Amino acid sequence: MDFRFTEDQLNLREAIRDYLTGEHTPEVLRRLDVEGGRDAAIWDGLIGMGIGGLLVPEAEGGLGMGLIEAAIVAVELGRANVSEPIADTALVATPLLGSDQRAAIAAGALKVALAHPINPWIADLDSADMVLAGEAALPAPEDPAPVDTVDPLRRLFAPIECAADDRLLDRAALIAAAQLIGGAERMLELATDYAKTREQFGQPIGSFQAIKHHLATVAVKLEFARPVLWRAAYAAQQRAARTPIHISHAKVAATDAAMLAAETAIQVHGAMGYTYEVDLHFWMKRAWALAGAWGDRAWHQRRIEAAVIGGGMAIGPETTFASELNHG
Amino acid sequence: MDLEYTPEQNAFRAEVRAWMEAHVPKTPLKTLEGREGYDQHVEWERELASGNWGMVTWPEAYGGRGLDLIRWLIFEEEYYRAGAPLRANQNGIFLLGPTIMEYGTDEQKARFLTPMAKGEVIWAQAWSEPNAGSDMAAIRSRAVRDGDHYVISGQKTWSSRAAFADWCFGIFRTDSESKRHKGLSFILLPLDSPGVTIRPIRQLHGETGFAEIFFDEVRVPVENRIAGEGEGWNVAMATAGFERGLMLRSPARFQAAAKRLVALYKEHAATASPAAHEAVLQAWMDAEAYALNTYSVAATVIAGGHIGAEASLNKIFWSELDRAAHRAAMSLLGATAELRTLPDGAANIWQEGYIFSLSGPIYAGSNEIQRNIIAERLLGLPR
Ligand SMILES: Cc1cc2nc3c(=O)[nH]c(=O)nc-3n(C[C@H](O)[C@H](O)[C@H](O)COP(=O)(O)OP(=O)(O)OC[C@H]3O[C@@H](n4cnc5c(N)ncnc54)[C@H](O)[C@@H]3O)c2cc1C
Repeated sequence: MDFRFTEDQLNLREAIRDYLTGEHTPEVLRRLDVEGGRDAAIWDGLIGMGIGGLLVPEAEGGLGMGLIEAAIVAVELGRANVSEPIADTALVATPLLGSDQRAAIAAGALKVALAHPINPWIADLDSADMVLAGEAALPAPEDPAPVDTVDPLRRLFAPIECAADDRLLDRAALIAAAQLIGGAERMLELATDYAKTREQFGQPIGSFQAIKHHLATVAVKLEFARPVLWRAAYAAQQRAARTPIHISHAKVAATDAAMLAAETAIQVHGAMGYTYEVDLHFWMKRAWALAGAWGDRAWHQRRIEAAVIGGGMAIGPETTFASELNHG
Repeated sequence: MDLEYTPEQNAFRAEVRAWMEAHVPKTPLKTLEGREGYDQHVEWERELASGNWGMVTWPEAYGGRGLDLIRWLIFEEEYYRAGAPLRANQNGIFLLGPTIMEYGTDEQKARFLTPMAKGEVIWAQAWSEPNAGSDMAAIRSRAVRDGDHYVISGQKTWSSRAAFADWCFGIFRTDSESKRHKGLSFILLPLDSPGVTIRPIRQLHGETGFAEIFFDEVRVPVENRIAGEGEGWNVAMATAGFERGLMLRSPARFQAAAKRLVALYKEHAATASPAAHEAVLQAWMDAEAYALNTYSVAATVIAGGHIGAEASLNKIFWSELDRAAHRAAMSLLGATAELRTLPDGAANIWQEGYIFSLSGPIYAGSNEIQRNIIAERLLGLPR
């Protein structure tokens, strides 16, 4: 029993964070917003770091890592607000595809869009080479019909009818939860930094207790959402019996943390926060988007309810890591 | 990351479970806040000690078992699973014990820790004063040096369990010229010392959970001081860290409460408000989250890490989750919520729990103070 990351995991996180901090700056976000495009340099950079092959077995030329590492990467993608379809392709789709396709993803030569009836849209269908729909892998349609979204860097398209694949849903919800956590962390940092520099009444607004308490409340929410995410990633990695419940819990906790961080951050920024000028809005809108994607709070809460209240799932202090629940 | 117990940890769990099943009182004890219930709880402390379960993480030399924090968490899980009574000696084992372990001399460890683990001496915390609550540096009670003794005068208040406890650990001003955090010392003394007067205070629920302590020239030997003269503030901050941090409220307590709350919800589902339904699920999720976070912090501490201001995150989370869970229970009970005794003759434990949960955001440093600490020390906002 050791709830810590390994050295390798910490190094992975640091490497991605360093790269994205340097290359995926707010200036890049603003440029992409104006140009309305994707950034091939970021895609290539992440592929170059091996993220495309993160979940591809070593025998096939990948890094052979698991869902804990995938979630670590996804948190960093959320922190930096990366919009390239790397999370859907490399962190969600890969294990559900055949070895040729996996190798192509590792090499950065295949982009996958994800279709599931729980979402009233499909993301990044325009740049996708194929669509994972139900259990089938389809070629991406020509000229998909765009759907208008509030998130300036997100590209959505009309849905494709398909069957529901629970594996896809669970993995995508886990990765969305991780991105929400990363986004919440970043919004807390943005607001905290602003509170240290903006002055009113002759002093930094961060010296006012009302501001302090707002931000502290976000810190608490985040602190207790993070371990829920890591337990869900661990369970998914182990194919534990309770994985869907743990993932739903992670999605709910991450959503709550991100929504609170977003509302708090805008309040701390004052009117500045209500503008398009301040970078905060990119993260805030991504939080709204991911909050609803891959099962919203109500959907995941119902799944928890069905187990905790409706079903016979054992609960209580001795069940947290009960070994029979850790193995599916 | 490895979230599996080892076979040895599982065997330990089985051992605790078997012992608890054989020893936990079948009928609930009377409240810890009254004389009769207090005595029952002290008896239970001694029963625990007979099984060598007083404080499993302490070295064997001091009545413990020398186990790590993961085993402590397992112990707590089984403790609450079995519905075992509250710990009469929580101030001792969770607050003073770790403080003595860190700052005490070998002589003090030998003298105080073993009787604490064995439940032979029950401790009260004597820090707050009428004018020194959140602002503890405003403490005025004095300890004046007279040869190899201190002579203590002044008043403490809100001291939990002081009405019945044997000893207290207090903070007193040993340098009469000093101000604020300086010149304070951490001193232990028996509550039956000549010159000590205890006046119980009736709490919200009507029982005498805490008390005022008056000191009128009470003589205490100098060797009862923990750490150096004038170092009391730093020692107290370490104690407060233990209080807010890992041990005072183990996650098992809230997981057990969440489980009971789910059962209560099932009984009242037909009349439950949507908000109560939501709150029940949230209580289960939050208790889980608290447990997960505690395992995570425990792993860091086992690896040599230190908990600092992070303890404040913890204290806010458990106290607010506890209040929300009990508020949900009161809502589910509807018109029966106000009854002290339920129609079936049982005590209304949800009401008792709700009342107690209202104190969680106040004691151990109010949640406003915790938010200040988080903002200033973790987020780095200006004072
Ligand atoms: C059930 C219970 C058990 C207790 N047991 C013990 C015990 O065993 N031993 C012991 O020594 N003490 C004990 N206490 C006392 C406890 O530590 C104090 O109540 C606590 O420190 C708050 O002090 P106070 O009650 O004087 O409130 P005050 O300090 O007067 O605070 C009143 C309100 O003002 C707020 N406030 C104060 N200062 C600030 C600030 N700087 N910024 C923002 N808000 C502020 C507080 O958060 C609170 O909401 C206990 C209290 C309770 C309720």
